[in-house]
Amino acid sequence: MEPNELERFEAVVLPHLDAAYTLARYLMRDDHDAQDVVQDAYLRAVKYFGGFRGEGPGAGRPWLLTIVRNTANTWRQRHRADALATEFDEERHSEMVADDHPEATAVAQSERATLRRAIDDLPPEFREVIVLRELEGMSYKEISDVAGVPVGTVMSRLSRARRRLEEALCPASEDC
Amino acid sequence: MTHPVFVTQLDAYLDGELAAPEAGELEAHLRVCPDCSRLERRRRTLSVALREQLPRYEAPDTLRARVRAALREQSSHAARRRTVPWRALSVAASLVVVAVGSWQLATRNAGSEAIADQVLASHVRSLMAGHLADVPSSDQHTVKPWFNGKLDFSPPVFDFAGRGFPLLGGRLDYVDGQQVAALVYGRRQHVINVFLWPAGRGRAAGSGAREFTRQGYHVLHWTTPEYTYWVASDLGLPELRDFLVLVQRGDAATR
Repeated sequence: MEPNELERFEAVVLPHLDAAYTLARYLMRDDHDAQDVVQDAYLRAVKYFGGFRGEGPGAGRPWLLTIVRNTANTWRQRHRADALATEFDEERHSEMVADDHPEATAVAQSERATLRRAIDDLPPEFREVIVLRELEGMSYKEISDVAGVPVGTVMSRLSRARRRLEEALCPASEDC
Repeated sequence: MTHPVFVTQLDAYLDGELAAPEAGELEAHLRVCPDCSRLERRRRTLSVALREQLPRYEAPDTLRARVRAALREQSSHAARRRTVPWRALSVAASLVVVAVGSWQLATRNAGSEAIADQVLASHVRSLMAGHLADVPSSDQHTVKPWFNGKLDFSPPVFDFAGRGFPLLGGRLDYVDGQQVAALVYGRRQHVINVFLWPAGRGRAAGSGAREFTRQGYHVLHWTTPEYTYWVASDLGLPELRDFLVLVQRGDAATR
């Protein structure tokens, strides 16, 4: 990479490291794997950066997140056997509770833990649209670019993902 | 009962992605349909909960360092490719210009430059996940024996935790065409790699340390009667020199 390209990369792609790591954490559900995925994604990003023609400070984010998402998918496929074995990991779930902020009330804590467990239990296709929409605030069009599916699919995945989360937090029979 | 046509539009509506005419129709329907509007309230509650409670993660410093190291390595490959002809030319020029006898020094320096490159590459590689230490331990009496049977020498291992340079572990590495011992020390968030192997015959021992700087990393090199030492880190040069003094004193004390 030429020095001026490296400079452009540092300005356009590097600032989105936290967003990349957050998406990878949700997709991989494991800190170590998430770090490996992000590093791998950045190496790919350097390689493909010559073909990236986005303008503006925000343009690098959907572009980078697309690479993170694809890298995470590749990793998951490669480690599918492991992934299945750890699908319902007791330790991971108890760790989540321990992660909670101490100042939160017991109720909020258990709600938060329930929510995170519900997210982790979603299929990855649902998890990614939730993170991109709720945490990254992306438009349906941007999500459709990142996930590589039509806008209509983004809409229906979001709808189904939210219904499942709602059910987990508050069963339909109750009024919460 | 809820109305499927409106239910499928509800998310797009709440996300501000529904076209105005459909949004108007949906709003009108929500005013008259208690079941659909109950669904809307549930979605809004969920949306608030998600935004408030889903954590955003901050990339850890180690990841930041790994990504930067990977970038630097990429750019240094390119830089090396660009500078190779010039380096070759300058070596050629020096061979022509410089009197016979000093060529030996020139080639030895070129050799050091090449080893410095290798040492730096090993240092950067060690920062990648799971590569830092084969024996992660802050106990010198665990690290030193670990090399038994893996190398034909027993490297001096120290713990300078009391001086702010804790031992982090050790691993086998490969530099200058041979297996070498790599000892890993820390300084705050920085990692220091010490590479060492038995000093070859005919090499000048006890000469002062040489310093190389590459892409923000420092590489130091010196020899003792027994060992050839190379040290690599992104730590500032003054602190790295302090570290060098500690290692040299430690090494001298073992003889």
